[in-house]
Amino acid sequence: MDNHTSPVKIAALGMEQRTYSTLQLFFHEHCKDSYVLVEENSADISIIDMDGFQARRMLEEHKKHYPNQPSILISLSHDKAHDAVYIRKPIMLEALSSALLKAKERLQQSTIKAPTLKTPTVETTPQLQMTATPPETAAPLLRNNNNVAHNHDSHKTAGQEKSSSKHFNQYRYSANFLTEDADLEQINTKLAENFNPDNPIQTAKFQYQPEQTLQGYFQQAYFTALQTQQNVLLKGVWRPITILHKSKQLRVEKNFRHLYALSGMLFDKSDVSITILDNSVDCEPRLHETVLPAEPFLWKLAMRTSRGRVPADTNFTAPIKLIRWPNFTRTIITPHALRIAALWAKQPTSLMDTASYLSVPLQHVFIFYTAAVSLNFVTPVMTEKNHAAAALPPANRHRYRKIFQNLLERLRNN
Amino acid sequence: MTNYKIIFTGPVGAGKTTAISSICDRPPLSTDKIASDMTRDVKKTTTVACDYGTVRLSGGDCLHLYGTPGQERFDFMWDILTSGGIGLVLLLDNTRANPFQDMDFFLEQFQDFINQTQIAIGVTQMDRKSVPCIDDYHNHLSKQGLTIPIFDVDARKRQDVSLLIKALLFSLDPGLIENND
Ligand SMILES: Nc1nc2c(ncn2[C@@H]2O[C@H](COP(=O)(O)OP(=O)(O)OP(=O)(O)O)[C@@H](O)[C@H]2O)c(=O)[nH]1
Ligand SMILES: [Mg+2]
Repeated sequence: MDNHTSPVKIAALGMEQRTYSTLQLFFHEHCKDSYVLVEENSADISIIDMDGFQARRMLEEHKKHYPNQPSILISLSHDKAHDAVYIRKPIMLEALSSALLKAKERLQQSTIKAPTLKTPTVETTPQLQMTATPPETAAPLLRNNNNVAHNHDSHKTAGQEKSSSKHFNQYRYSANFLTEDADLEQINTKLAENFNPDNPIQTAKFQYQPEQTLQGYFQQAYFTALQTQQNVLLKGVWRPITILHKSKQLRVEKNFRHLYALSGMLFDKSDVSITILDNSVDCEPRLHETVLPAEPFLWKLAMRTSRGRVPADTNFTAPIKLIRWPNFTRTIITPHALRIAALWAKQPTSLMDTASYLSVPLQHVFIFYTAAVSLNFVTPVMTEKNHAAAALPPANRHRYRKIFQNLLERLRNN
Repeated sequence: MTNYKIIFTGPVGAGKTTAISSICDRPPLSTDKIASDMTRDVKKTTTVACDYGTVRLSGGDCLHLYGTPGQERFDFMWDILTSGGIGLVLLLDNTRANPFQDMDFFLEQFQDFINQTQIAIGVTQMDRKSVPCIDDYHNHLSKQGLTIPIFDVDARKRQDVSLLIKALLFSLDPGLIENND
């Protein structure tokens, strides 16, 4: 392996497409292509997702065929039974970078000791076995994002921090490598069970600053396009996104899904640009690009950025009113979204009261609120003096509730 | 045993017969006829009397789905049809010349019924014509101070029609318990 010129070859095993693409993006955008994804048999290092079905068997197989290949195991659990570099999900940028450096060191050591490194062999070379040292620098980053509060610094909120690591271009990766649907299930709704809106430490835990996230920048670009009635170009570490104001669509690269995985990152203003395009600029999608409706995109991006939290300026006790129903047949229905929307359309209700009146986890209310407020579908009701308006008692149950319940059941069953 | 009903209304060809068929137990009784005169160039058949379908509910109750005939724009029977109804589903065809005018017309015709119950609107044929978009419908409604669930619906898709009915039910009673959708 040549350290300076050729990239380190990495095999990503047991990963689903989205995780794979995220790694690809990470290597390209943040590591300046100093790592590249390859097939297992030509790799220098392997990264293995241990949470997949049959992951253990795959690992055993892998060890059998490539006993000298340093591996990095990623998993949701603490399990360190294996002799490898370990990273716990959600994967932080620094944890991943230091794991890669560690694996690279091991690779260099083993290259010196065993020149036939890449030849598949069934024998194990004891001195080449890795020790199960977790990357020290990663240790403080292994915290669950939702548990971290930064109430001392107004620019930092739970789960998002700007990295000081020069190596990774000052961005910290905190998006977790999970499937899109699993993201919602991942949210530990117990965390907000005893939530007290008057306790600033607790509220900080469930708030985030959208401004420096892709969500925030996209939102800004989208509303600029709508207001100026002109197309807008949004640039950053991602491939350029063009917002088409007339059709309320966006033009992005075909492989746009990885953009959702950027939802956990903070980007410095100086690295992002929003440009209003002259109407004469041709915005036809190129061959590698596609056109998407903007609303469901922003909805989903906000939902993923939220991860059960709300924007930092959210008033937890002001009644929330629904201005516009989301187009639910073409948008992700977040947990209990229909009920929350219907309640807020019928009677403005605060986030706290909504959770108790509907008996739903507060974080599900937060997710819906965050997605809806990103598109201006909801608004808090304030008095003239900018105080939260008084809440009304919840609406009575409908006299046909039992029938409606039956009908809902029927609609679900077939 | 008690009977409950939901009314489907909307202009000719908006998908009322199709929507009712996509969720009721058996093919609905429709009195469709080969369309004549004004309707013929729009579609082959049209409902002349009423669509009617049922959904059996547990406990022996029954939900009736009624579709108004699209070509009869002024029907003196509407009041009778809606009496005792639990809500209205309005389907609009996005390819028609002026779907906002259609929407205003039906909102006005059923105003009393809507005031007493709730309404959900499905805009069909959006795959054939994407403008106006759902947002434009909302902007039109918000001028009248209305917040109504409006979804992009394909009447042939059960899931879309079912979601429209769910939105109607939750609008009637947000306290209903959701069953994991
Ligand atoms: N392409 C497309 N076709 C649709 C959609 N929704 C319904 N259709 C079709 O549109 C046609 C008209 O639907 P009908 O259900 O007969 O309409 P209707 O409202 O009952 O019409 P009238 O009885 O004449 O008032 C049918 O062929 C449906 O299959 C849609 O969203 N897209
Ligand atoms: Mg019909």
